[in-house]
Amino acid sequence: MSEALLSTHSLSLSFGGVRAVDDVSFEVMPGEVFSIIGPNGAGKTSLFNLISRLYDADSGDIVFDGQKISDIPAHRIAELGIARTFQNTELFEHETVLRNMLIGRHVHSRTNLFSELLFLPSVARQELAFRQVVEDVIDLLDLQSYRDQVIGSLPYGVRKMVEVARALCIQPKLLLLDEPSSGLNPEETEDVSHWIEDVSQDYGATVIMVEHDMSLVARASSRVMAVADGAVVAIGAPQDIQNHPEVRRAYLGD
Amino acid sequence: MRFVLKTRYQQDINLFLHNGQRFWYALLALSVLAAPWFLDRFFLGELSLVFIYAIAGIGLMLLVGYTGLVSLGHAAFLAIGAYTHTWCLQRGVPLPLSILFAGLLSAVAGIMIGRPTLRMTGIYLAIATLAFAIVVEQLIAHWESVTGGYRGIVVPKPELFGYSLSGSWPFYYLCLACVTGCLFLALNLLRSPTGRALAAIRDSEISAQSMGINLANAKSTAFAISAAFTGVAGALFAHKLGYLSPDAFTLLTSIQLLLMVVVGGLGSLHGVFFGAIFIVLLPQLLAISRDLLPAAVAQLPGLEPGVFGLILVLVLIYEPLGMYGRWLKIRQYFSEFPLYRKSTHKRQKSYLRTERVR
Ligand SMILES: Nc1ncnc2c1ncn2[C@@H]1O[C@H](COP(=O)(O)OP(=O)(O)OP(=O)(O)O)[C@@H](O)[C@H]1O
Ligand SMILES: [Mg+2]
Repeated sequence: MSEALLSTHSLSLSFGGVRAVDDVSFEVMPGEVFSIIGPNGAGKTSLFNLISRLYDADSGDIVFDGQKISDIPAHRIAELGIARTFQNTELFEHETVLRNMLIGRHVHSRTNLFSELLFLPSVARQELAFRQVVEDVIDLLDLQSYRDQVIGSLPYGVRKMVEVARALCIQPKLLLLDEPSSGLNPEETEDVSHWIEDVSQDYGATVIMVEHDMSLVARASSRVMAVADGAVVAIGAPQDIQNHPEVRRAYLGD
Repeated sequence: MRFVLKTRYQQDINLFLHNGQRFWYALLALSVLAAPWFLDRFFLGELSLVFIYAIAGIGLMLLVGYTGLVSLGHAAFLAIGAYTHTWCLQRGVPLPLSILFAGLLSAVAGIMIGRPTLRMTGIYLAIATLAFAIVVEQLIAHWESVTGGYRGIVVPKPELFGYSLSGSWPFYYLCLACVTGCLFLALNLLRSPTGRALAAIRDSEISAQSMGINLANAKSTAFAISAAFTGVAGALFAHKLGYLSPDAFTLLTSIQLLLMVVVGGLGSLHGVFFGAIFIVLLPQLLAISRDLLPAAVAQLPGLEPGVFGLILVLVLIYEPLGMYGRWLKIRQYFSEFPLYRKSTHKRQKSYLRTERVR
């Protein structure tokens, strides 16, 4: 078996008395679409925040691509190749779709402040190269008609797509999607599974997604991890997890 | 209405969107270049002052309007620029170099205030920058060997390669050259990665971080650049004043600068110029209205700051996008004439964002 792209080892995090993440260990293989399911407050988002280093773990390690990342600062995560979306979307509200996506290219910028102030040819060349990448992503996710619109004026479904697009502009190895289908209508949700497939195949990105919609999870993912009260309940193939007695109990709350 | 069909990426990074824009800006450039032939000394002086304020405004706009960090202490950078410039000129440093030094030293001061306040926003940052300005004011008042303290110092007349620039014409062109240069730098910054990083911080710090933006560096950069522009404005302002003393750079000056960017329209460089014109005209309007008002009101000592504050509050409530925002609406009204609907610009309810990270 090949080396895991991401692995966590006994990861724990508490907020006061609440154990949001409790001794969580799992591995994600390169090329996988790995889903995380669990009832509200199970600690799924907290887990994402740990991986993207917005939160510091109380104990445990995170290893990405052979490197321990549990003690590097949050702003270095993107350059290692981890991109994410947020549950309630965190876009740059007053900027256009294009400029939001260009910020995804930030980690690939090689120009310094002085050349930027003078907009030297090197900066202009880089801007054009950035647009090439951005435009490919726009094509992939069908965002052409929103390209120059300001985020504040866009409907929710489009915003969610723009956030994914922005993350893809990083050209990440690992993409973390926090509830990609929440707030979307059934057709849009249908589309989600299609573009997740595109993303994992065309971009070769490994995907970890938190999702409540079980049919989407079953369609899109190779493996599923169920969590409840911060702890791992089961990891396995989608059908096995759906029928797992402990998972059912976690959801129904016996 | 005009729709621009973009066919090449190059069109995205050009400074002007289309030929129509190029035409209007060229016309504007011509008229400011020709202004000395049409305006008398007084108005030319006022226009120079507009340019000086605009330079400071560009600096403050980058910080407040683009990075989302508020400052109530920009008078300090204006002062640092003015005193540095004067000090350099007294020692025979050539004018362009001296203006550059004024900007650089201000930038250093900007980093000094930017670093310790990295985690502050809103009202806390306003108070911290205010405190910084007070410290600088006190420093100027007491460091008599350099600044002359409350006695003040005389600013040497500007000259370049032996030619005096103190006449209203040459000084006007000096200010015009500086404001054009600063505007060019600011526009470049805003279409580059660093400029986008600043806007990202303004709109969402956590997501900026997750996009690989180092908040500490980016905020320090914002403070440094903002202070540098304001320092350059300070250097020119010194000539305008002719005589420097600490009471030229008080809290009122800081508020005036903030008023300029807010009234002009946050988040736009057009707004800076609208704001600068407003700020220069306001004292004139106040002077006229003083004659019209009953004596008891007109003689009130706090009239000027009071009016400033009132305008600031009114703008924030009724037209948060300032004069530039209003101008855009008027322009849209005419371009869509019979079809314009009032609700076009109703502010939309934004989505609930109580759970920021979750
Ligand atoms: N910043 C925080 N401060 C305090 N408690 C928190 C914080 N973030 C999360 N929690 C708590 O940690 C637990 C896990 O929350 P988390 O947001 O990770 O759940 P989730 O699985 O993403 O839930 P949902 O499906 O509703 O998004 C919850 O009890 C929550 O209240
Ligand atoms: Mg969540």
